[in-house]
Amino acid sequence: MALQVNVNDILSQLYHNRGVVEFLFANRENITVNELLAREDLSEEQYQKMRSLDLLYVYEGVVSLNDAVVAMFEDFMEIGEVTPGFINDYINELKRHIRFYQEVHEHRFLRSIKKYLKRINIALSREIIKLQKNVDDTYKNESNYRIKLQKLEDYRLKRDTIIDFIKKTEEVIEETRGLFSLTNDTELYGIVNALKASLIENLDFLIEIQTDITDYINKIQFQLDVYVKAQRLKEVKDHGALHFRTNFNEVVKSLNPIRFNGVKGPRTKIAIDFLFTDDGHILCQKVAQKYKISRLLMRGMAGKLPGNFKDKMVDNQIKLDTEKLVDRFLAQNKFNLFEYLIQYKFPKAIGDVKLEDRMSLFVEIAMEYEKTLDFKYRLQWYEYKDDNGKDRRIGYTVILPTVEEKKKKEKKKAA
Amino acid sequence: MTAEDFNLPKQTHDIFAIMARGHFISSNGTKDGMGRLYDIINNPENFDRLQAYFNVIRYNIERGNNYFYFSKTSEANSIIEKKLETFERYIDVVDLFASMDNKITIGSRFRPSEIAEECNANVRLKQKLQKIPMYRSETLLNKVRDICDLMSRDSFLELEDEQSESYKVLDAYTYLLDVINAIAIYDDSGDGQGSGIIYN
Repeated sequence: MALQVNVNDILSQLYHNRGVVEFLFANRENITVNELLAREDLSEEQYQKMRSLDLLYVYEGVVSLNDAVVAMFEDFMEIGEVTPGFINDYINELKRHIRFYQEVHEHRFLRSIKKYLKRINIALSREIIKLQKNVDDTYKNESNYRIKLQKLEDYRLKRDTIIDFIKKTEEVIEETRGLFSLTNDTELYGIVNALKASLIENLDFLIEIQTDITDYINKIQFQLDVYVKAQRLKEVKDHGALHFRTNFNEVVKSLNPIRFNGVKGPRTKIAIDFLFTDDGHILCQKVAQKYKISRLLMRGMAGKLPGNFKDKMVDNQIKLDTEKLVDRFLAQNKFNLFEYLIQYKFPKAIGDVKLEDRMSLFVEIAMEYEKTLDFKYRLQWYEYKDDNGKDRRIGYTVILPTVEEKKKKEKKKAA
Repeated sequence: MTAEDFNLPKQTHDIFAIMARGHFISSNGTKDGMGRLYDIINNPENFDRLQAYFNVIRYNIERGNNYFYFSKTSEANSIIEKKLETFERYIDVVDLFASMDNKITIGSRFRPSEIAEECNANVRLKQKLQKIPMYRSETLLNKVRDICDLMSRDSFLELEDEQSESYKVLDAYTYLLDVINAIAIYDDSGDGQGSGIIYN
């Protein structure tokens, strides 16, 4: 190691660059120096510092975290490759300390014995969990079937190794039972009992994993067998004998997935009452968004009733007045609908009616009184200044009162 | 009547949405949280409730090896011709996959260009690919793409990464293998080795 380091230094460096550490841990073995330095959270200086502490390695331009750091994370997260070998070291250490303790009954050896018993317990469980995860992952995601078979066989070996270790540990416990009971140490007693229980449990778990591995290997074998069969079928098919020399027709006819039987997705009609509820409204909005229908978007969901709702009754007032407003509009012929609404002087009780309100009123009237209005389908422009004082203009359709025209015609006819 | 009333998992709608389209739910699928949906159906308590719930509308959940799909309790076998055609084509496709140097099986990841490449280099594979009836596919690569597209639509494959065009074979693919396994070849002279056909 290049520098003298202490725990504090390493921890603070790791913490300081936790973003980078996390990133590198997630993307092991494919991040180049340039990519790493391009990140905003790592300066050149920090990078050099981490390298000098041996927290980062660089090999052929690819950056990787120190293996010790990666291993630590993997241990905590119970992922990564299964490495049962070190359990053996623990067992040997345990045996060594037991020997020491047999010679001199000193407390320090007892402490080490406890430590290693605990470690063995934790390590065994962790390795087994990793084994399970790896076996599953290999079966589901390894793309090359030859590698897949090999890997599964390897895991089978590893499983045997772990079983050996479990047996070994059991032996050690059995041999030293007398010694342990002599110590009269309740903590040790608890640890040994916990270890025994978990050994039995782990053994069960391993048997399960074994069945899984066998199952997976059989499945792969099945796939390979079926592939041979598929090739034979194809051969038969190429000879034009598929329908005669095999029971292809019967088998395929009896297949039941709905996809191959022309079953269309269910078409259920929705109750109109439901559409008027809030849930129905959400549904309507989804449909409206999908098909870009603005009409369905009009009706909003009923919001929460505010505490001072009595004062806000004004809003309703505008709605109630619409009909009269339209009547008045129909009675005049000076303005088109938009102009009429813009210049209309609303009663003071309503308060200040903003441009937006007038525009929504315009839309509302246009939609509701479609039949009594004459749509000219011609655009006119209205210019105004917005809140920021900028010049804006909006186009609107010219809408005239139809009744007027009819009256004129009638008058003409009368004349 | 909502899913909660039956004490159903809250993903019931998602499950239905996928399976009612005729798709399989595979345990190794990743799109739309498919793996998670699989786990939910696979939970025995959920399975019974979902089965009862869907049975009311005459859908039946069928369980396969690491996949689920819907069958219809009262079904009309009206489109047998199309069904036969579909599976004839699947025999072609599975045969092609089986004859590849690096056999494509469940969990395999591949890109259409890889298959096209191998077919280009191997005359036998090339012939196999060319004989698979697909419409409007001029080049080998496009043909492989069409096949992959077809199989993704039947939810046997999953387009894992659109950028790199990489596909993953889902567990539902076992269904095809099961079908092939179920077909018996008559007057077969024993174990197939005496038939004079050389397999890859």
